[in-house]
Amino acid sequence: MLELRLVQGSLLKKVLEAIRELVNDANFDCSSTGFSLQAMDSSHVALVALLLRSEGFEHYRCDRNLSMGMNLNNMAKMLRCAGNDDIITIKADDGSDTVTFMFESPNQDKIADFEMKLMDIDSEHLGIPDAEYHAIVRMPSTEFARICKDLSSIGDTGVKFSTAGDIGTANIVCRQNNTVDKPEEATIIEMQEPVSLTFALRYMNSFTKATPLSQTVTISLSSELPVVVEYKIADMGYIRFYLAPKIEEDEEDMKH
Amino acid sequence: MDGARAAAARKKAKNAEPPAPSPPPDPSRPLPEPPKTPNNPLASGGPKEQSDEKKKTAALELRKKCSDFNPRAAAYWKDGEPVPFSFLVRAWELIGKESGRIAMTEILCNAFRTVIATTPGDLLAAVYLTANKIAPPHEGLELGIGEASIIKALAEAYGRKEEHVKKQNSELGDLGLVAKASRSTQKLMFQPKPLTIDKVFKTLLAIAKESGANSQDKKKNHIKGLLVAATECEPLYITRLLQSKMRIGLAEKTVLVALGQAAVYSETCPKPPSQTQSPLEEAAKIIKQVYSVLPSYDKIVPTLLQVGVWKLPEACNFTLGVPVGPMLAKPMKAVSEILDKFQGTEFTCEYKYDGERAQIHYMEDGSVEIYSRNAEWNTGKYPDVVDSISRLKKDTVKSFVLDCEIVAYDREKQKILPFQVLSTRARKGVIINDIKVRVCTFGFDILYINGQPLLQEQLKVRRQHLHSSFEEVPGVFQFATAITTNDVEEIQKFLEAALNSSCEGLIIKTLDKDATYEPSKRSNNWLKLKKDYMDSIGDSLDLVPIAAFHGRGKRTGVYGSFLLACYDEHNEEYQTICNIGTGFSESQLEECSASLRSKVIPSPKPYYRYADTVNPDVWFEPAEVWEVKAADLSISPVHRAASGMVDPYKGISLRFPRLLRVRDDKSPEQATTPDQVADMYRAQKISHTNNQEEEDDD
Repeated sequence: MLELRLVQGSLLKKVLEAIRELVNDANFDCSSTGFSLQAMDSSHVALVALLLRSEGFEHYRCDRNLSMGMNLNNMAKMLRCAGNDDIITIKADDGSDTVTFMFESPNQDKIADFEMKLMDIDSEHLGIPDAEYHAIVRMPSTEFARICKDLSSIGDTGVKFSTAGDIGTANIVCRQNNTVDKPEEATIIEMQEPVSLTFALRYMNSFTKATPLSQTVTISLSSELPVVVEYKIADMGYIRFYLAPKIEEDEEDMKH
Repeated sequence: MDGARAAAARKKAKNAEPPAPSPPPDPSRPLPEPPKTPNNPLASGGPKEQSDEKKKTAALELRKKCSDFNPRAAAYWKDGEPVPFSFLVRAWELIGKESGRIAMTEILCNAFRTVIATTPGDLLAAVYLTANKIAPPHEGLELGIGEASIIKALAEAYGRKEEHVKKQNSELGDLGLVAKASRSTQKLMFQPKPLTIDKVFKTLLAIAKESGANSQDKKKNHIKGLLVAATECEPLYITRLLQSKMRIGLAEKTVLVALGQAAVYSETCPKPPSQTQSPLEEAAKIIKQVYSVLPSYDKIVPTLLQVGVWKLPEACNFTLGVPVGPMLAKPMKAVSEILDKFQGTEFTCEYKYDGERAQIHYMEDGSVEIYSRNAEWNTGKYPDVVDSISRLKKDTVKSFVLDCEIVAYDREKQKILPFQVLSTRARKGVIINDIKVRVCTFGFDILYINGQPLLQEQLKVRRQHLHSSFEEVPGVFQFATAITTNDVEEIQKFLEAALNSSCEGLIIKTLDKDATYEPSKRSNNWLKLKKDYMDSIGDSLDLVPIAAFHGRGKRTGVYGSFLLACYDEHNEEYQTICNIGTGFSESQLEECSASLRSKVIPSPKPYYRYADTVNPDVWFEPAEVWEVKAADLSISPVHRAASGMVDPYKGISLRFPRLLRVRDDKSPEQATTPDQVADMYRAQKISHTNNQEEEDDD
């Protein structure tokens, strides 16, 4: 038996909007500690890891570990039927091949039930141990989204926020800045050694779909390792995107 | 990120100076390979590297003679485990390097034996992939993906820009090579599981079955999944499988022969009957025969594994609902020739109708399917035939397979209309009430009746069944007009009558001796006599354009002339026969040039036979079949067709060839053969000496 009651239902909607462009089908894993997901995009270039801790739910009951395969687009369709203030409850019986989403309006005058078929998804759980990163940048998530969007109109690669495309090149440098009044507007850079890596902006842009979940984003970089783009979800957990770098000599550089 | 860290560590170790002291080399154990995938340091390493050495020995093993081959030595997976796709790819690579059919057969046979010995359940998928098919032809299942989808999938899977992929494609001229070269611009998070034969085949099936909204997108995602997991040469062959052109020079017949021979070697296969002289040849013959009456790997391969090759013909018989290749006739030039051939045997002459050959299957449940000459599903084109045949069969008939010709027919004037009229009918989705081109079905053979296959019966018996099973209704369903005579005069008159009734000529068949139905064979027991044969060189030839010369002057921008070849099915090679530049209208030339431009290959195939002096500007993939007519045939020092057959060194070429039409209904492997060319040459010699005044009058 599984029953998870989330008062800020809009959170779940935002989470889904954040990952559904990257991943079509995924297994949601429920354990006594929390509700999580780990999936790669079909190219195996990016990985998304989501954790919503059990403490963040108003009511969290998970009798045994359960893995539920869902089509994220179908799930999104159902969640779109929930109002932004609705309380969402996720329910599933043991051994059942369906999951139920229940939406309650804040004043309890409307309760809607949506049942969705689960699917069998063959996926291996990939161990992602913590790594030490050479550089960690924390910055406002909207700023990051803006940069990715701006850069991708010029080229299709680049972090250190620079890119080159057919129409020209662009460089954006964000400096350390923690003098602002509001901490969430600060840009903080912790650097052990300089890192320069190239990533496909297409994926970065896809990650920025998580912007509504958090005011800040943390980008952790190390040469030879995938970048981690993390959005913290207040009181609940996080959504982390991992992206493998591109190989340095890019096609644009090898014009013969 | 375990794998990632390990990879980084490996890299450090590699760069460290001096290298760590390594233990003395142990010949029995291959040294671990250095991390060879710098593009993929994030992948969890795993057992991939250690098996590389084994894979290499496997490839060497496959090249051994069948008699020395040990299937276990070639396998680098455990019994019962899914066969890695890389194994099949290696076999294909080896085959692609060979030009001889025997060597190809041997490699493929060894590969199949390995699959049978370890994971027999994967044999069907291995056979399908190697034959580059996904289902029997009559099921009409097609991948339904264009080059654009593959390019998109390539770009997304490898993190490249579509335009770069396109550019490279036009440079390399082979999307497979583009795929192979693409594998490096993007690192991966984790290396997906290695592809297996089963996974690749199932994915291809899934691609073919996707339909409806977003199906192109879904197909693209399937392709992406395959490409991302593909390593080494796999992207090349995945792309080629998707494009349905393997480019390794492997004909389906070789696949069949290799399959039959592999079964002979298999441990579980019972011993051959004691009187068998050469079991391998016998097995090849059996499997080809079985495939001709039941062209479905779905049925043959599992049965082969179960009962072995010797009992296969008993277990795999003609099956209702599975169309066989139609029996074909040999062209003849004169009535007198027929009498020579059929001396002393009873034979019958039938009108040769000018329409579309059809095989009509009527099932016990009353459903009807119509298949074309190439076993394509044609039921949707002829709902009127479905309707009439169901009405006109007699009540005692519960099931049948009818061989017939569907002909355009003017019911008012009670006249057969030319083929061109028939070809204006839509190919599918025809609605019975909207039909403008009416047709009449002319039945001439029956292959199956009430649960009983008739292929082994003589024509005389089959014909009795045919006539007692249907009602004739003029202009709707008729039996082919026929006479039984051996009088030259009478046959000549009958031929003229046939021509006057808008028929192409006559088909002459033996009645009760050597008169069984031989699917897909151009048999000596069926002869055809067409009006054309009386002029020039008899039948037209179906030839394959394999190269071209750039056009000049008025023809700048298109090809000026083409190099045509016939197809030798024994040696599986294309032999040049002539250059052709006439018979094209301007638009036709443009069309031909455009469609062949996509078939350009950087160098001629190893299985093309041509003189070094030919030097065309571009070479093509064998893809199209053109019907060509010529004034006559001559011995040629340049062309290679039928070389060694009439002249010990020289080949045969066509004089004054001109294009009649492009044949969409034939594949290059169905082109005219050197044997036929040699026959034509000999026949022309006879008639030339007989009839000096013969002139080409059309």
